[in-house]
Amino acid sequence: MTQTETPTSRLHAAYPESTVYGAVGDAVVALRFSEIEDEYDAIRNRSAVFDLAGTPLIEISGSGANDVAQRILGRDVEFLTAERCMTSLVLETDGTVVDQVEVWGREDGLLLAGSVGAGERLLEHLRSEAADRVTITDRTGELALLAFEGPYAWGVVGRLIDGELAALPFESIVDATWEGEDIVFARTGSTAEYGYKILASAEAAEKLWARATEEATPAGYEALELAMLEVRQPIVRAEATGANVVEMGAGWLVDITKDDFVGKDAVQAAFAAETRRTIGFSGGSAVPEAGTEVTVDGEAVGEVVHAVHSLALGTTLGLARIAPDLAAAGLTLTVGDAEVRTLTSPYVTPKSWSTPII
Amino acid sequence: MTIDELRAAAAARQQTCSRIKKMIVSRLDLPIEPDWITDDQPLFGRGLELDSLDVLELYVAIEAEFDVALYDSDMSVFGSVSRLAEHVDPSLPKTEPATADGAA
Repeated sequence: MTQTETPTSRLHAAYPESTVYGAVGDAVVALRFSEIEDEYDAIRNRSAVFDLAGTPLIEISGSGANDVAQRILGRDVEFLTAERCMTSLVLETDGTVVDQVEVWGREDGLLLAGSVGAGERLLEHLRSEAADRVTITDRTGELALLAFEGPYAWGVVGRLIDGELAALPFESIVDATWEGEDIVFARTGSTAEYGYKILASAEAAEKLWARATEEATPAGYEALELAMLEVRQPIVRAEATGANVVEMGAGWLVDITKDDFVGKDAVQAAFAAETRRTIGFSGGSAVPEAGTEVTVDGEAVGEVVHAVHSLALGTTLGLARIAPDLAAAGLTLTVGDAEVRTLTSPYVTPKSWSTPII
Repeated sequence: MTIDELRAAAAARQQTCSRIKKMIVSRLDLPIEPDWITDDQPLFGRGLELDSLDVLELYVAIEAEFDVALYDSDMSVFGSVSRLAEHVDPSLPKTEPATADGAA
């Protein structure tokens, strides 16, 4: 971060001095608070807390809210109640991905929580698609979103808020009160560990952050994106450029059986085409740049989409977009100068899958 | 391996994945084309949104379709179609995932 860039979070005054900031889209966020190894370990083996500052929080309200949302969102939200949330892609007419959003059902409409740093584009798109009887309100500045992730995150929620909330069914939402403050509590996450999110006023979030960091390890955006990649949760800013939904392998974030939605025709055309596919790979000591050629015996068969160093694997972990007849796990390919092996997802088994809530 | 051998290996896995997708759609009566399910798509929670009752149905279906009993397997077997393929088709190379124990 340069001296002229201001952190997006209103909680940044409470961050430790060791915090490393960086730009993610149009937001300046905490990439890490201390050592990424400790923050990653908290996600996979203990409990981590995130300040998801920079997440666009956009309300769609009015009598036509559900109709507009049904048209804008790739997934079917016709029966989404105020007690449920779900994840969906938002597409342009040509099938280009605008963003991945978490859709929170609300009594008077819906609240969309987009990707960190993607607010400007998402807001512009929603306003361009809005119709009469609908109000699009950017609530990013007045609300804060905190998240807990980890195999023991349920224990933190129990100690901090309410043990019963920790055991809610996946993608449930509850309006609750915490120390006199109204909050919205959701059981949802993005690392395949036990995940929870809390939507609160910025003022309430300051208190909650202070308490939460006594119970869980504050973790930054670097560790979060690494953990998302390991379980093949799409990272739109890294994966969507120059690719359609099918090439991304994100078809599960649209509902092709829906009558219609913006971009549906393009998705159907992509599905019918023999397009490239995305596959995970690991291997090599250097982290290849996006666009690095993937080859077999010197013949180009694809390119790297996104890669990082995986702490769990102890090697490079990445995604490559390759020819459909080679898009399968268990193959040995070459990325740059390194030999890599294609993988099945998830690339790291979440500890939460074998850790019961007690 | 040569590129043709790699293509053959990929085709073998894709064929098993395709059988699994057809089985899932048929047994669970899902309103989608089997090919719409991607090999790496999560099957539970986010993704195909299957639940524990669906797992029981799949145990039976897998035994009938592939003659493989997975009843004592952990849930990671169902991490994705491609992962499941390795457990129902012994001829496919294993790509077992890592755990994050002690990763830091």
